[in-house]
Amino acid sequence: MGLHYININSPGTYAMILFVDFSSAFSTIIPDILHSKLSQLTLPAPTCQWISNFLTDRRQQETFKVPGFHNLPGPEVGVQHRRTIRKKAQQRMYFLRQLRKFNLPQELFYTAIIQSVLCTSVTVWFGSATKQDRNRLQRTVRTCTFPESGNGQFNSHRNLINKTLICLFSTGLGAPPPFLCLSFCQKGFVIDGSAMSPTCKCYTMPKDSTCKQWSITGIYKRPSLLSLMAKESVESGLTWEVRANNRHYHKYKEKKSLLFFRWGRYADNLVRSYKFSPLTFLPLTLFEQFQRVANLYFLLMMVLQCVPVISSIPWYITVIPLFTVLTVRGLKDLINDMADLLLLCSSEPHSLCYVETADIDGETNLKYRQALSATHNELTSHPSEEALAAFDGVVLCEEPNNHLYTFRGQLHWRRECLLLDNEHILLRGTVLRNTEFAYGLTIYTGADTKILKNCGKLRLKTTQTEKVFNKVVIVIVLSVLLASLLLAIGSGVFSSWAMKHSEVLSALVVNGNPIYMGFLIYWSYIILLSPAMPIALYITFEVIHTVHSLFIGWDMEMYWQPADRPAQARNTSLSEELGQVGYLLSDKTGTLTQNRLLFRQCCIAGEIYEAPVYQAASPDEEALVGAARELGWVFLSRTRDFIVVSELGVIRQYQLLALLDFTSKRRRMSVLVREPEGGLKLYCKGADIVILERLQKDCPYQERTERALEACLRTLCVAVRSVPEASWGQWSKTLDQSAAMATCDRDALLEKLYDQMERELQLVGVTAIEDRLQEGVPETIDLLQQAGLKVWVLTGDKKETAVNIGYSCKLLDPETTLLEWQELREILQSPDPGVSFFKARQTELWAADKKTTGAKTAVVLTGPELTEFDQRPDWGATFMSLAEQCQSVLCCRVTPGQKADIVTLVRKHTSSITLSIGDGANDVNMIKTAHIGVGIEGVEGGQAVQNADFALSQFRFLTRLLLVHGRWSYRRISLFLCYFLFKTCGFALVHIWFGFFNGFSAQSLYETWFIALYTVFYTAWPIMLAAFFEQDVSAESSLRWPELYKIGQKQELSSPLMLSLSLLYAVYSSLVFFFIPFGVFYNTAFDFQTMAVTVAMAATFTATIEIVLVTRYWTKFNIAAVCVSLLLFFICTRITHGSRLFQRAPGDYLFIGVSDKAFIDPVVWLTALLTTWMAVLPSVTALALNVILTVHDKHKVHSASQPVELRSKLKRGVYRRRSSYALSQGAGPGHLITSGTCIRSTVPSVDEKASNICAKNIDLGLEDLSIYCRAS
Amino acid sequence: MFNNICEQLTKLIHSIPNRTKKMVKEEKEMANRPDNTAFTQQRLPAWQPMLSAGIVIPGFVLIGLAFIGIGVALFVTSRSIEVLELDYTGVESSSACFKCSEPNKVNCVCELEFSLDSLFKGPLFFYYGLTNYFQNYRKYGVSKDYDQLSGNLDNFKTPSDTCAPYKYYNNIPIVPCGSVANSMFNDTFKLYQIINGTKKQVPFDGKGIAWWTDYNIKYRNPSVTPLKDAFNGTVKPVFWPKPAYELDPTDPANNGFINQDFLVWMRRAALPHFRKLYRRITEGDYAQGLPAGNYSLEIAYNYPVLSFDGKKKVVLSNVSWMGGKNEFLGIAYLVIGSLCIVMSIVMLIVYAKFKFPEED
Repeated sequence: MGLHYININSPGTYAMILFVDFSSAFSTIIPDILHSKLSQLTLPAPTCQWISNFLTDRRQQETFKVPGFHNLPGPEVGVQHRRTIRKKAQQRMYFLRQLRKFNLPQELFYTAIIQSVLCTSVTVWFGSATKQDRNRLQRTVRTCTFPESGNGQFNSHRNLINKTLICLFSTGLGAPPPFLCLSFCQKGFVIDGSAMSPTCKCYTMPKDSTCKQWSITGIYKRPSLLSLMAKESVESGLTWEVRANNRHYHKYKEKKSLLFFRWGRYADNLVRSYKFSPLTFLPLTLFEQFQRVANLYFLLMMVLQCVPVISSIPWYITVIPLFTVLTVRGLKDLINDMADLLLLCSSEPHSLCYVETADIDGETNLKYRQALSATHNELTSHPSEEALAAFDGVVLCEEPNNHLYTFRGQLHWRRECLLLDNEHILLRGTVLRNTEFAYGLTIYTGADTKILKNCGKLRLKTTQTEKVFNKVVIVIVLSVLLASLLLAIGSGVFSSWAMKHSEVLSALVVNGNPIYMGFLIYWSYIILLSPAMPIALYITFEVIHTVHSLFIGWDMEMYWQPADRPAQARNTSLSEELGQVGYLLSDKTGTLTQNRLLFRQCCIAGEIYEAPVYQAASPDEEALVGAARELGWVFLSRTRDFIVVSELGVIRQYQLLALLDFTSKRRRMSVLVREPEGGLKLYCKGADIVILERLQKDCPYQERTERALEACLRTLCVAVRSVPEASWGQWSKTLDQSAAMATCDRDALLEKLYDQMERELQLVGVTAIEDRLQEGVPETIDLLQQAGLKVWVLTGDKKETAVNIGYSCKLLDPETTLLEWQELREILQSPDPGVSFFKARQTELWAADKKTTGAKTAVVLTGPELTEFDQRPDWGATFMSLAEQCQSVLCCRVTPGQKADIVTLVRKHTSSITLSIGDGANDVNMIKTAHIGVGIEGVEGGQAVQNADFALSQFRFLTRLLLVHGRWSYRRISLFLCYFLFKTCGFALVHIWFGFFNGFSAQSLYETWFIALYTVFYTAWPIMLAAFFEQDVSAESSLRWPELYKIGQKQELSSPLMLSLSLLYAVYSSLVFFFIPFGVFYNTAFDFQTMAVTVAMAATFTATIEIVLVTRYWTKFNIAAVCVSLLLFFICTRITHGSRLFQRAPGDYLFIGVSDKAFIDPVVWLTALLTTWMAVLPSVTALALNVILTVHDKHKVHSASQPVELRSKLKRGVYRRRSSYALSQGAGPGHLITSGTCIRSTVPSVDEKASNICAKNIDLGLEDLSIYCRAS
Repeated sequence: MFNNICEQLTKLIHSIPNRTKKMVKEEKEMANRPDNTAFTQQRLPAWQPMLSAGIVIPGFVLIGLAFIGIGVALFVTSRSIEVLELDYTGVESSSACFKCSEPNKVNCVCELEFSLDSLFKGPLFFYYGLTNYFQNYRKYGVSKDYDQLSGNLDNFKTPSDTCAPYKYYNNIPIVPCGSVANSMFNDTFKLYQIINGTKKQVPFDGKGIAWWTDYNIKYRNPSVTPLKDAFNGTVKPVFWPKPAYELDPTDPANNGFINQDFLVWMRRAALPHFRKLYRRITEGDYAQGLPAGNYSLEIAYNYPVLSFDGKKKVVLSNVSWMGGKNEFLGIAYLVIGSLCIVMSIVMLIVYAKFKFPEED
């Protein structure tokens, strides 16, 4: 309920509007108080009376979910409910008391209590507890209050538990009654406090606690006027609404689901550690599992088998694999979920809050989050519990999404609209540091949290091999359906024949209707042939992928000791694609280079100063600030509005007026300061290209400065402008206005405004920083090129830098000719681009060096030129065909979006696999777009890694990732797929041929147990182990002969042809499996069961011999697996054919005694042997021919390859070397300065390390500017 | 006692944080370092067989020779087995059993005469053979009640549903129920040697023609004596002339579900053309085989096959170590063996062509 005064048109006149929201009025409002309040507000007495009448004596019900106690009844049940709670608490305490009675050592006793509390939760409802109840509870509390003295070891625990319990119970003792639930979960430390009263006691988290996250999920209170705001927000995309202290609103719209239907808006407000409780585990897992097609297939098969008329094999045959699958996957899904919070206030000044986001983006440095000053002021000025309970803000924000680094929203509170962004949000997964406590309002819960939204995304990538395989599977499924149909027709025909001629069989035709019979037989054959549909393979496939990923993470050679980081496969399903990469698209800065900066020189007013050697650990600014201090400009302190700098001993104070913050799009930042003398100055720093185009026309030192730019260094331009007081006044007004605007257009508007200010600049100087190549980059690129990869470099830097880096990292040879845009454009426009290209290459080559035989060309493009491709879509294909002949392509000055466009271009016009590698946020787009994204864990933060499929610490590890792991993985997976197809299809298709000789009756040729065990026990392990361990050549040889990698690029092992050949082979072997025993047993006294055992034997032998043929790397596990599989066949067959099982269930073990006879019958053995040999003969022949034919190939490889030449071919000074400045990608910390919230650290020193990141960032942002203040 | 346990527990609880702390300290700097084991580094010791032409081609030759060897052995053995096959379906009017082949003939007996020029060496096996008969038809095969056949009296009263459509006859349960039992082969044979115009019956040995496991484990009569009582309240299968407990009037022990002929019939054939063992000739004057002379086979012709174009045969055969005559296996071995030899020759040629120029 809310009472609002609204100003209509003219000031001074008011209309009074009363909003009544009855949805929550019953439980949250005490009618008497309301009555008196309303009277105070001069509401007419009858209205007041009416409202109170309406509210009193209503029945109410409310349900609360609490971990541990589910669905506790609300106050309606009153006394009974309270007793239940008390009983529960007492039960627990009783148990503890009993423990103490046993003279349990004190430590152990308290450990038990801690365990008890940590593992479960204690809930108390004091709503309107009777005195008796309270006394009892108090007694209980006393029981677990600890004595003062004690062994020091448990003091911390004791404190924790003491506080908890006291807080828990004492809260309730004081009226008015809150509902407070305190729960400790293994994973998190959570207070779910939801009060029906203005007070809610909150508990502060002790320092050094191991608990990770602590949240107050909204202290719900009254709703307020919202409709107007909501409408406006929908237009701006802010449609997610969170109301503080309003349980009903959220409860009502809570997400629910039943079977496949889901409704509701908000995820469960319940914060749990696990998705499943023991009770719900099975149904929920089953439901989630059956969403996967493969499992649905199993289910369908099972259902079909349960229908007696069509079941050709018993139901348990499918249940065995299905159950295995569900268990494995179900266990995998045991993950937890929690909430994202809006920071309201914290223990620190200005409600700053230091967090570590290592779990989210892998960055280990401290970050700050800050509450809105409005909430900070309000919630920290009064005792915060009460203020929190009274907090009734409404948050409108984006729908739950997966963008970890952005957040847009508004907080509507006290008729004010406050803008919210990422700074105010504490994401699930962040860890509070150096902050005593923080209060927050839950924005997204459970599955809506950003981190969880993010999790699902990476899974979308599927590999090329998998796609091909999926197609093959579809072909198989269709073939099986078709074969079933044909067999069903055959069955119909046979039935009608049998009805006329055979008395014995005609009685068996169901309903005496051949067509109906055919229909039933159709389904029976689908079941019977279902093993041929290799759906079960997907599970094994997943396991193999996971193991390959583990191997990547375990590789010592890819472990980088300085940072203590191993390689990481974040996406486990792409490993074999690493063996097929055709295009490597690499970022430059931080990927090829170290991003470890060395301040080299600066050019101020045209004079070049060589800097003293000063090495800084990370980004540009730090290097600059350090150097500045060395030169005598020392940053001293900052207050909200002032910066104090010691300039060669003279202390000067600058007033900070505005900060035009950095964005990757603007590529510059500026500060507007008032000098001690009174003038206004705008200092701007940024990328040279950006600054240079904003300079005054007749800038004095431009020429000399530009010369400084030509050194091969990363540069940063600094410029200044005097701002007239008048224009500042006007500009600042507009700035204030637009800053308060709706979030959508705000950024664009601000950018425009900033742009207005940053004009007519005067160049002050240039700083130059060297960014060295990473270790091993030239060798890596050389090796990769030998392996047939096309390496492209996509960089935001300028052309000169990119080309230089290209030469120094061996991407380009000294004799490589560069094909630039003008020339390329002509070629592209010419009627026959291929010829023109060839000509261009020829002439260039002729001119450069007549002796060079290999034509080497590299294309150099820049971002603006690339935009022309958008207008000429036909160029794409032509360009790609040219690029394929080129040594490399360098794309400079490209935006993150363009990087992704280039990847798309490559993907679109070639069938090759693309791999993008980068380290910064600007690479995220291309990392996501490429088939494989690799993130370098560098200094620019974890965003690239966060979005990548693989994470490496060094560029050079790429060789091992691709040439060793990728190649192996590709081989293993291809081998696995082909073999799997062969073994399942060969085994299952036998039934088609058998159908022709049993009246198309869907009679199985195998014993049912054999069908069940064949895939799981007899043939699964050897191929699994081969898929884990198989190596055709060792890791060292893979690296020595990179040419071996080309097999994967050409998809030689996993091409549709190869898979089709496997299928064909399977069909062949199925023919052999049936017709050789057929020939032997035709017109003899051998019975059906003996034949079944013979064929089963042959099928098992064939599968075993086939795996022996393909395995080249025999570890003891492989050998054991093969032996065990064969042994298992004989043992299991003997067991299922034994009399013991038969006597238990005569109907299930019909083959009693068959193997006793068959295994000693020479004809059975000779038939099985003959069948097996005949079945594997093509494979053996192919292998033999391969051995014979490749003898000389291998010989050639071994003798011809010489050690890779590692001498650098860089010719320094030959090319005009220029440089450019690569920018860091995040937004700058400017707003923090302008909002003046960093005064806590008034006297920071540069040496102070990461503990105070906020202050440091600002130092860095401005100290380097201070250098130029003087210089100008 | 309890205190002791508590102390130990306490110690254990104390030690856990300490231990972890120590470990953390020691390995703090390289906490994420992967284990350097043969398994994680994929350097498991392994045998990598290097195949070469020198192994592959001789291998092929050896396998080919082995197959040819087996093939020759099989072929020779198979050749040594004599078989006498007589079709008595009576399709042609000249056939002795033509008169019995009419559909509605009952209790028809026909005689087939044959002569042997030389001794048909024993021990001899006497089979009957059927063609175009789908004993491997799925619905036919499952149409029996295993519990009933293992002597469970409950299933005598209520046979399993699998027996349909031969479960009840006029609402009285059929025992043994189901299609397989119902369609039991019921022609009977008697063999006579004609010596000077008089018939001398060749004694048949009908014992032990069924599988041991079938006779002793899989099929059991209910433990009721006399056996007949167990069948009270049931009817015989529709096609049967006599109830199960009267299958063999000569031997009371050879009745019910453990009747040898019944057991042989119940073991389904693999393919639509099959033989089933009927009797053995191992006794008396004929233990060494059938001497040369004239013979007469007296057939009680009951089983209808003409409707589905089937054939009925009797087969007399002696056996070897590899069982009955089977020429296919020997020939197949010879063919595949030769194929291997041929392929090894081809490979040798290919090898020579590819290998030697390079070495020169």
